[in-house]
This record gives sequence, structure tokens and C-alpha cells, in this order.
Amino acid sequence: MAQWQEVQSLANACLEQVHQLYAGAALPMVVRQCLAAWIEDQNWRQAAEPLSSHARMLFHSLLALLGERLGSPGLGDEDFMLKHNLRKARRDLQAEFEECPEKFANVVANLLQEERRILRLGQAGAQRGAAPAPSTPPESDREQQIQRRLAEFHVALQEAERAFRHLEDLQDAFDFCFKVHYLPGEDRTSDPQYAQQVQALQAKLQILDRQRREVLAQLQQLLGRSETLRDFLQQELGAWRERQQRACLGAPADTRLRPLETWFTELGQGLFQLLQLLRALGELRQKVTYERDPLKAETPLLERRLRELLTYLLQRAFVVEQQPSMPNPCKRPLVLRTAGKFSARARLLVRLHDRNHHMEAKIHIDRDPPKIKGFRKFNILTSSSKTLLAGDSPQEGLICDFQYLTLKEQKDSRSGKGSKGAGEGPLAVTEELHLITFTLAYAYCGLELELETSTLPFVIISNNNQLSSAWASVLWFNMLSGDPKDQQFFSAPPLAPWPRLAEVLSWQFESVAERGLGRDHLLMLAEKLFGSKPSPESTVTWPKFSKDSASGFSFWAWLDGILGLLQEHLKQLWKDGLILGFVSRKQEKKLLKGKRTGTFLIRFSESVLGGVTCTWVEHPESGSPAFRAVVPYTAAELASLALPDIIRDYQLLVEENIPENPLRFLYPDTPRDEAFGPYYSQRQEGNLTEQKKYLNRRLIRVSSRQANESWQTEEELVAATENLETLQLQPDGLGTPRPGGLAPLQPRGPGTPQVTSGNLGTLQVMAGSPGMLQPSSPGTLQPRGSGTLQPGPQGPEPPQLLQVGSGVSEMLQPGIGELEPQLVLQLVPEGQGTLQVLPGVLGMLQHMGPGDQGTQQAGTGAVEPQLVLQLVPEGQGPLQVLPGGLGTLQPVAGDTGMLQPGAVEPGLVPEGQGPLPPELRDLEPLPQSPDMQELLESLVEELEPGSGTLATLEAAELMPDMLEAMDGALEGLGPALASSTALLDPRDPFLPQPEDAAVPAVSSLFATDFPPLHIDANDFQ
Amino acid sequence: EAIGLYNVGQSCCLNSLLQVFLMNIHFTGILRRITVPPHAAQKKKNVPYQMLLLLEEMQCGKQKAVSPLDLARCLSGYRVKLFVQHDAAQLFLTLWNLLKRQMEKPELIEDLSYLYTICVQEHLACQKCSFETKRNSSMLTLPLPVLNSSSRVLKTLEDCLRYFFHPEELTDHNMCFCEQCGRKTPFLQSMKLVHLPQTLTIHLKRFCFEKSACIYKLSHYLPFPQDLDFNAVLTENQCQADDNEKAAWQYELFAVVAHSGSTSFGHYCAYIRSLTECKWYCFNDSEVCQVSWDDVKCTYGHSNLHWGETAYLLIYMKKHPQ
Repeated sequence: MAQWQEVQSLANACLEQVHQLYAGAALPMVVRQCLAAWIEDQNWRQAAEPLSSHARMLFHSLLALLGERLGSPGLGDEDFMLKHNLRKARRDLQAEFEECPEKFANVVANLLQEERRILRLGQAGAQRGAAPAPSTPPESDREQQIQRRLAEFHVALQEAERAFRHLEDLQDAFDFCFKVHYLPGEDRTSDPQYAQQVQALQAKLQILDRQRREVLAQLQQLLGRSETLRDFLQQELGAWRERQQRACLGAPADTRLRPLETWFTELGQGLFQLLQLLRALGELRQKVTYERDPLKAETPLLERRLRELLTYLLQRAFVVEQQPSMPNPCKRPLVLRTAGKFSARARLLVRLHDRNHHMEAKIHIDRDPPKIKGFRKFNILTSSSKTLLAGDSPQEGLICDFQYLTLKEQKDSRSGKGSKGAGEGPLAVTEELHLITFTLAYAYCGLELELETSTLPFVIISNNNQLSSAWASVLWFNMLSGDPKDQQFFSAPPLAPWPRLAEVLSWQFESVAERGLGRDHLLMLAEKLFGSKPSPESTVTWPKFSKDSASGFSFWAWLDGILGLLQEHLKQLWKDGLILGFVSRKQEKKLLKGKRTGTFLIRFSESVLGGVTCTWVEHPESGSPAFRAVVPYTAAELASLALPDIIRDYQLLVEENIPENPLRFLYPDTPRDEAFGPYYSQRQEGNLTEQKKYLNRRLIRVSSRQANESWQTEEELVAATENLETLQLQPDGLGTPRPGGLAPLQPRGPGTPQVTSGNLGTLQVMAGSPGMLQPSSPGTLQPRGSGTLQPGPQGPEPPQLLQVGSGVSEMLQPGIGELEPQLVLQLVPEGQGTLQVLPGVLGMLQHMGPGDQGTQQAGTGAVEPQLVLQLVPEGQGPLQVLPGGLGTLQPVAGDTGMLQPGAVEPGLVPEGQGPLPPELRDLEPLPQSPDMQELLESLVEELEPGSGTLATLEAAELMPDMLEAMDGALEGLGPALASSTALLDPRDPFLPQPEDAAVPAVSSLFATDFPPLHIDANDFQ
Repeated sequence: EAIGLYNVGQSCCLNSLLQVFLMNIHFTGILRRITVPPHAAQKKKNVPYQMLLLLEEMQCGKQKAVSPLDLARCLSGYRVKLFVQHDAAQLFLTLWNLLKRQMEKPELIEDLSYLYTICVQEHLACQKCSFETKRNSSMLTLPLPVLNSSSRVLKTLEDCLRYFFHPEELTDHNMCFCEQCGRKTPFLQSMKLVHLPQTLTIHLKRFCFEKSACIYKLSHYLPFPQDLDFNAVLTENQCQADDNEKAAWQYELFAVVAHSGSTSFGHYCAYIRSLTECKWYCFNDSEVCQVSWDDVKCTYGHSNLHWGETAYLLIYMKKHPQ
């Protein structure tokens, strides 16, 4: 905005000062107003110099302009007074300053200066007044300063250019006079006129000299101010570098370069303009020079200073915008794999270049390699030079973008092998730091420079399994190194102060799952590291962080396992704060103690790499509260079933009770479904006609336990599961109820198998004898209420009720109530939950493998996860395995019809099995066994439409076939499974549940709707 | 408001020093009390008077800069030549001595001395017999080395001050003759601070002699504070003053005379904090502009930039005048 306009918009108090200023001024305000723009455009200060011809010119221009104005029709009659005042002013000015226009110039210059002073004061006051209002954008103080200074620099530069043009005029005038009057070779010393002319020339030279000195002083001042700007920009760039480094580590940081680019470009542009000005000054000196010409000495001095400043600015302005990185899901730059593609980008923040001159950028790796024995040498395979591109639009700036780079290790002919042998060098591969240097041959406006910039050190790995420890190195370096080029950092890695490390660890979680670590998390981590509460002085050594592995893995490996789990499976839950995560056991008890039974929390396992578990509290009627935790779920399990679904469907099979979900309230007291409802996976509401062919299925997890089991820690549990393996093939133990087993749950007799609450999915096939499976009457099978179908030990059920598989309870008994994993495949007819129709089928599935359950029950007191595969009827609501639901599930013809062999078989008898763990491979013959297929078919046939009622399940029809088939199947299992077959003896009341056998079937079932399930023996421990 | 001084022939050094003098209200208070020489010829030759004239001219305002030509002419009569590069520290001493010599009135001379003189006590102690000699001396500037004896860079102004007052052992070739021992013995040479003046001038010896003849400028980074408390810098041992005196050793930066360029050719400018307005100004001959502390900080120096402005003289002002 023009000065006069700004003055007029000042507050009243300031306007008063303006009125006072003009009250006695020789320049009437009316003239100031009338010619505001023109007056502000002139250099009055210069004109005010004594003997300046400029002043006269300006004075007469002003009078002429006033005359024009008076004659212009615009003023017309409407402002008679104004016209009058202008006329009077013109007359007065003419009278007063005709003889001394310099004086007039000085008056105007002073008036303008005073106006600016009042303006500054007024605007500062206004700003102070406006400060409380949050109207100003949240721009940092420093940013505002830089912008203000850049604007001032620009104005001062324009002023200097104006002064320079004035100097040019003066010099031309002098030159002209000089050439006219000074004629060498002609002796005119006697000519009095000549002496006068020489004197005038001398005076002109004085003025010229003074103007030259003035311009020089202005340039000195400009350079001084630009040095402050340079410092400011460098500080901002330093702050950006820090932000970039932090962002590399995953911190949320603004790494935009745009503001810096704008500032660097503006300053660079100004300085190049200044350089032009200095050159032009040098040219002036070429035309006219004299003894003690200030330009002679000072211009070169200024130019050297300016060139140094520009060089420095340009060197800083060349930055690595994107640190070398390979595409990876964890957003972890600075870890490169040989043969993998990576990219890196450098940018020149001073966006000035000559379009006709192509500048070439090059990259070099380890240009100055550290002297470390065994330090690997690499080549960049792709082209290492590139032309600096301006981008299609000037917006993009000057970038050199290196993409699709690959690294190849140099084969050292002496050592004969490329890769470093173990112990060859002092540093591990993941502790070896490499650097890429960009160089750029810059040329602009006669300034030629080689600019260079280096990336942050990065780690080169050859295998993805080194990624985690390579990232640990990157974290450690960027967290602690003071020198961004220190490639020998890991020769003596410094200690990390805990507060710093805590912050960096928090960033890891923030970048992976958008939520950092809280105070309590960090406290737990610190206690894990230090064994006690941390003090601000606590430090962690590099080996302690990344190498010590007393528990089988280092602190970092453990944490990174959790990060991996979060990244893949638990992002949303973590982000939304549903996972408490890092809770020590002590703390966990403290938290849960005072909560309702069924209050649970989710935390990360400390003993299992990348494991997550739920712990819940139970308050028995007497005694202290019990805390239970599920064996940690790892990525392998979560890949098939998401944690919210596990929580929703989690079942605890308790012998004396109906199966129940013990997870009821998320700590502190949010009802489970309220907390996790939004995360449950959607039931497929699929199109009935389209999906009729298949049943839907659902995977849930259950655990079973006995009533009197004791609390066991996870570690104990792990030990116990290891024992399991040794127990597996000991059939003897299986049939024998262990001490502490549930006596009341034992079958009362072979003829009276019981359906226990938990066995619905698990034990139907257990029917030891055909007789057992024969319901005394079809009517009994028709549940009139849930109670009838839940013949628990205490249940008042009539003995003739269908009691499928008493074995279940027995099976569970040896396990001293621990809830061992079971694999249960339930086929649920479409449209309804006619669960009870399916026991036979389910049982079959369970029998398909040698993995006898009895072995697995071996005395672990903890609750173990079970895998239950349910085929969920299409369109059904949440399928509950609760016995209460069973009563309503009546076999309906239409429903059972869904269980056609065609639908079931492919799942049960997979043809193409994926690789199986060795234990399961033994099972291969099984699915192919025709007997088995027959058996299945026969089972399914029983369920075909038309059978309609449960009568079809009468043992007379069903069981003989089935058992025969089973026998056949089991005999076909071969010697390796001898023990299993023995267990599967139908006459054995303690028939184990060979859950492992079902695995092949499960795996192929998944192939249809679910992602392939990775079967690992560990899954079922 | 601050007024510039035209460069009248490589007079940037003189201009900067004149600004430092004339912006100092304690100095101008003395200057205004001088007796005006009766004759025109004497007036022309009188430095304090010419300086006063210049001050008057500057203070009448209305012009953005005035020309110190008359004063420069007057000075050239005392071998302070125009069109010659001066060293600011040296020129400061010359000017001050000329002023003192020509002020005539004893009370003014006393005031001027009191305003600028630093009093120290030099100690020389024999390490063999603890024989000690003391000598009081006064200085106009504290000439601070910016490198230590092993040519390592001193990190801050405070470090330079500590190093300056650090006792030095005189051994080997530097041993002194001890009257008591009757032979040359190792001595401990130390300097104790007795009195600090209202206006304290610190001279940073930003140059280095290497291989005899060659002098080059040291432009490395050396920060100096805006507020300087000598009690926090010096130890009890390095002072020889009463509590009253020490209590007054609280300083605030008043001016910086900065040099850009090389030892053979350069430019001076002055950053001065107006004592009345408490604003910083930068004086580049005729160009004056208001600046901030950030601009002053730019004169700390830079290890990679050799042609930029670096502080050469630091003028501190007592916070609470006695």
C-alpha cells in the first residue's frame, strides 16, 4: 500500500501527529494528497544534496504536475475549494523555493521520513492492540521475521538500484561536461572562463564521488543485513534437517521444504541482483575514474564478500530432500538391501538456473570410506549422473531425483569373497554405515560452483531378516550422533539417555499405528530395561538395546516383534487405545483386582516374540481374585482371525458350566461389545441364491479348563506346552484321568456318554459305541429348551438324552482343567443354527488326525487357545456356541439339505495340501482314504433333505456306518499313527480328540473364503 | 534519531569510532563542557571542538548524514591521515589521547579518564622464594586474545576474559631476575582487576601472525553476551576490588565496531544501541538503519566465511552508573 494511504488509515492519535507535522510544513497537505504517488516515487533525499541538479528538476516537475491537475476536468467545479487551495499552494511554493529547490527537496525528504516514523509507531501500536486477538496465523515468530526482512531487503535493494541509476545520470552528466570542457593538449590556463569551468567540473566530480561512496555504503549495509538473513535461513534449514532426521525415525514432523525454498530463492535472487549491481559499478569505474576512486578498492572487496556469501548460501541450499529408501511398509528409510531398488532425491533450494545451461548432478557412494577393516565397498549400478531438472512447472523447483538405484557389492579380489566373513571386520553388517554424496556443477550468472550434499548414513543389508537390526542401528545413530557423517559411529556407540530413547521408541509406535507410547507404557519398558523405575539420568547401552538376549531375543527384537504385529493386525485397536499393551504382570493385577469378574485387558506378551494376549479377572465366591491369560496370539493366528473376533467369540469350556465368553468388560469397565463392536468383522450377508452352494463358516477360539485349575504364568505355560510334545505319543496316559481331574465328569458308563457344554463342537464323534449315540427316542433330541440339550453333570437331564461324546469331558480331565487348544469344525446349516444336527460330522472332522487331544491336555493349568472352525449359516446373527442356543437349533429338512457332500467334501478332503509341518505330513494318507470319504458321505447323506428330523440321526442308521467307516479310516492311518488309532478305538471311553487331524481340511477350507491359513504345529500347542 | 557520517575518503573506521563516541551520552556530557577556543585557527585545530561541532550538526537533524570533513582535516594535522586504512583499536587510542590532551580543563580530563580507564594490578611472584612485586597500571582497552597459548580457539568472550586474567608461568627463557634469590627464577605473572570504568572497551585480537611477516584475520565464531557480569567470569583471585566496586561490574553491550574484509583491506561499520531509545542501529558511513540484536549477533564471526563482518571492538556500558 502506498505510504500516504497507510498514513490516512492510522488511528486518530497518530493522525493527530500527521496533522501537526503538516501544520507548519512548507509542503501543504493538499499537495501531498494530490500528488501522493508521484511524490513517494521520487528520490528527494538525493535531490537534497547540495548543488544537485536533480532538485530543480523535481521541483519543476511538481509545479508542472500541479498545473496539470488544476487544468484537468476531473476537478471541475465540484471542488472549488480544493482547486483554490492547490492554486495557492503552487504560488506559494514557487515563491518560496524557486531559488533553492534543494531546500524544498530536503523538506519533502524529511516529511516523508517523519511520516514513516509515525507509521511505524502507529502500526506497532495497532499490532500490540491486536495481539490479544488470535487473528494472526500461527506462523512462528522467526518465519515472520524472515518474511519481513526479505521484504526490507527487497526494498533496500530497489533503493540501491535507484541510487545506482542516479549515479549513472550523474556520471553521464559529468562525463559530458568533462569531454566538452576539458580538452587536453590545449593550453587554456590563461582563460578565466576555463578556470571557472574546471572549478565547476571539480564540483561535479565531488558530487559524483560522494554519490559513489553513498552507493557503496548502501551496498555495505545491504550485505550486512543479508548476512543476518543468511544466519536466519541457516538456522531454519538446520531445524528442517533435524525435523527430517526425526521424521526418518518416524516422528511426526513437518518436512516441507517449500517455505525454505521460497526464502532461499528470494535471498539468492537478491544477492545475484546485487552482484549485477556491483559489476555495473565496476563498469562505471571503467568509464570514469580518478585518484582515490572509492570504487577501485571497495568494489572488489564487496564482490568477494558477496561471492563468498552466495557460495555459502548455495552450498547450504543443496539438500537431500528424500533420504535413500526402499519401498517398505514400515516406512523405514535408510535401510537398503543389495539388489533391491531404492531412490533418493536432492534439491537445490535456490531456484535459480540458466535454462540454456544444463547442470549435471552425480551420486557417489562412500566417496571417502572410513578406514575400518572389512568395510564393504559398493557400486551403484544404475547411472550415477543426471541432469538437474527444473521440472515442468517452476513450482517443482530444481531437483535431481535418482530412482531405481541398485547397489552391488564390489568383489574384493584379495579376499576372494564379496561378503564379509564373520569376525572379519570389527563391525557387523548392520552396524556398517554408508553414505551417498550428491554433487552438482552449478553455474549461474558467472558464478560456477561445485555443490555437494550427503545423505544420512544408511545400512546395507543383503537379507530381509536383517531389517530389524539394521533399523535399530539407524535409530541409534540418528538419535545419538552429533556428526551426520560419522561412519565410524558404531566403533564406539554412545549410551542413550532414557528420556531420548523413550521418545524415539514412542515414535516407532506412532509411525506404525498412529499412537505413541504413554507414560505408563514407557514406565513398564523402562522397568523392563533397568529393573527399576528410571531416572532422567538412566542410560541404555547399545548392546543392551539390540544384542543382549537373555530371554531369547533382545529388547529391540521384542519391541520390533510387537511393532510388526501392530502393523499387520492391530493397528486400529492400538490407535483407538483399546490395547493397554505394555503392562507388567504386577501392574496388571493391580489394575484388574478391583474390577468385576470378566474385566479384561489386552497386553503384549513378554515371553513370546510378537505376541498379544488377554488377561481377565475372576472373583471366585471365596478366596482371592484369579487372573487368567490366554496363550499369546501371534501374527500366525491373527492372520486367520482378527483379535476383535477372537474376543467376541472367545469361549471358555468349563466342564461344569455352559461354555461362556469370560471376556466381558474391557478394562476399566466398557462392555465388550461396546468396545469392540465397531471392529467385529461383518458377517457375510451374501446373496442367498449365489452362495447357496457353500456354507459360510467362522473361526472362533475357545479354551477349556477345569474348575479347579490354578493360575499359571505364561512362562510356565510355555514350558508346559513343550512338555506336551513329549507327551503326545503316550497313549497310556490318555485314558487315565489325572489326579485333579473331574471325577464327576467322567462318563458314568460307556453307554451314557454325555454332552457337556463344551463338547458341542468338540466331542460329538466321541460316541464310544453305537449304543451311546442312539437317542432313546427321537423326541429326546428335540430340544424343548436349552436345558435339555445341556446335559452337564449337574444337569437334570434324563439319562436317555442324546449324550454325545462323553469323551469330551474325559479328554479334558487329564488336562487338569486347562483349556487346551482344540480344533473344532462345525458345519452349520444355512439359515439356521441347527447345531445339533451336525455332531456326527463334526466328530468326524476331529478324528481326522493323529494329534490326539489327550496328549495335549497334559497338565497345563493355563487356558490355551483353541481353534474352532464353524461353518456359520448364511445370514445368521452371531452364532453362539452357547448351549443355550442349542435348544432352538432344530434340524430342519431344508437346512440339513445344505449339508450336501458336494459342499462339505471339498473342505474336508483337500486334494492339494500345502506344505505341512512334519507332524502333519503323516496324515496325508488320511484325507485320501476312500473309507474316510465314504464315511463323510454317509454322514452327510444322513443329513440330506427329507430326513427332516432328528430321527435321521438315530444310531441305528447312522452309527454303524460311521463307526465302520471310522475303523476303516483309522486302520488306514498306518503305523506312524498307531498310537492315534489306538486312541480312536471307539470302545475307548477316553477317546482323545485328534484335533491336528482336522488341519488339512481346515487349510483347504480356508482356501475358498479365507486367506490361506498357515499351519504350524505351534498353533495348536 | 541516528544520523550517518559521509565517507570522506576511507574514513569508515573514523566514522564508526566517532559514532561510538557521539552516541555515548556519558561522553557527550563531557564534550559539551569544553571551552571553545577563542581563535578561528585554534578552533580548526582543536579536536574536541571539531567533534562538538560535528555533534551539533548531527543533532540539528533534518539530514540523514553529515560530513565529518572538518574534523578529518583537523585530525590529519595530528598525523591521522585520510585515505589511509586505520586499525580501529589504534585509532581509538589516538583519538582518545588527542581528546584528553586538548580538553584542557582538569576536571574534564579526570572525567574522561574515569569514564574509560580500566585499572589493573600486575603481580609478579618468584616461584622460588615467593618474592612478589606489584604494579598498578591502567588501560583503555582490554586487549583480549582469541586463541590460547596453544593456538586453540577460545569458545566465548568469557573464555577470552578468563584466559586474559589467567596467571602465566614464566619459565625457561622467560624467567625473571629475582632480587631476593639473586638469580633468574621462574615467576608467576598475573593480573588482577582493580577497577572497571563506565564505558569498557574490549579489543578482540582477531589477527594472527604466522611465519613472521604474514598477518591474517581470525574470523571464527566467537559469541559475546549482551549482558556481562564480571563477577561471574573472574574468580576471587583475579580481582583486587572491594564489594562496592564489584557490585558495579554489571555490564550491558553498548556498541560493536565490526570489520569486514581482510587485514590488508576492509571496511568498518558500527552497531550501536542508542542509550536513550534502547534501539540498535547499524552505521555504515552515511547509511544508518535500525537493526535488532540478531543483526548484532551476525558479527560473532563464522569459521567458514572470511569476508563477512566480525566484531573487533566491543564497548560495554555499566548498567548502574556510579
